[in-house]
Amino acid sequence: MTLHLVSKSPFSSSALRDCLQSFAEGDALLLIEDGVYALRHDALQTLQNSAVYCLEADAAARGQRELAAIVSGIKMIDDAGWVKLCTQHNPIVSWFR
Amino acid sequence: MGNKTLALCRTAPYGSALAREGLEAVLASAAMEQEVDLLFIGDGIFQLLGNQSPEEIQQKSQRRNLLALPMFGLEQFYVCASSLAERGVKPKLIEIPGVEIKTIEQPGALIASYQCVLSF
Amino acid sequence: MPRSAGHFTIWPAMKFSLAVYSAPHSTQSAASALRFAKALLSEGHEIYRIFFYCDGIQNGNSIAAPPQDEADLTGEWQDLQRQYNLDLVICIAAAQRRGVLSQREAERQEKLSANLAEGFELAGLGQLTDAVANSERLVTFGG
Repeated sequence: MTLHLVSKSPFSSSALRDCLQSFAEGDALLLIEDGVYALRHDALQTLQNSAVYCLEADAAARGQRELAAIVSGIKMIDDAGWVKLCTQHNPIVSWFR
Repeated sequence: MGNKTLALCRTAPYGSALAREGLEAVLASAAMEQEVDLLFIGDGIFQLLGNQSPEEIQQKSQRRNLLALPMFGLEQFYVCASSLAERGVKPKLIEIPGVEIKTIEQPGALIASYQCVLSF
Repeated sequence: MPRSAGHFTIWPAMKFSLAVYSAPHSTQSAASALRFAKALLSEGHEIYRIFFYCDGIQNGNSIAAPPQDEADLTGEWQDLQRQYNLDLVICIAAAQRRGVLSQREAERQEKLSANLAEGFELAGLGQLTDAVANSERLVTFGG
């Protein structure tokens, strides 16, 4: 199953939207860099039954850590967790623009 | 060599170098007989249009690289059907000699069938 | 596949390669690649190759001089390379276009100076193909 990495804000890029169009059952999504602003976007709700992760350092840097804690279904992970996700999924697809 | 690879082409040509450099990477893989397929999705489908005149902006033709791919055994391109529809591009506008265009409805299932995905 | 050892599930070490398309000091992505590389190594995984492509070739530009209180990505890549004997490969075609040259390339192209940072090497796109073929995971850092 695919791990999708989204690193751009859904408010300024089609990265998240394009990723969701290519999202298959059993896939996982990890939000990094400006991708963490997806926590504030409705589009994430379509993934309520899927594994959605957020890189804690990137959320914290942008003042979004507290939000991530209250958005249901989002799991916060650190760099080691990111590595682990990559070992558990393949392929790994980056959506960076 | 192992690891079936998909090149995910989602950038329009000319405005950025990514589309061109992506195709160069695909050409290199194909020349080394690494198994690589292409999926054109999002703005990447604009790379396939037949009526490009990049000389107007002093750029090399990107389509020429696409036309070279069948010589390296790449005779089939996957194209996302909804990306075409969303942009009002009819399938007959993206014909490439020597290449079978396969429009797909479920890009997620296709992507998941590869061991490696390179995004361009 | 994981094996079980008592209560723990152990994932075996894996062979990773990274493709880095972004220059330092422009977007976060090259810094993310460095963080991820460090995490991979500290979790005991192997990095087969890091391939710098597109604007990513600027990671190997030795004459960039960022202010002292900002991250020096080139220096950090070099430290990591020395520590783990990493294979840091810069695409030669992408580097020639953007001006990162080894001594040999500078002479060949009749340019005044070379600026390829020590620890990085210039090679063709075939090294990306080879990395894909020989790694269990490939992670791309772009944008």
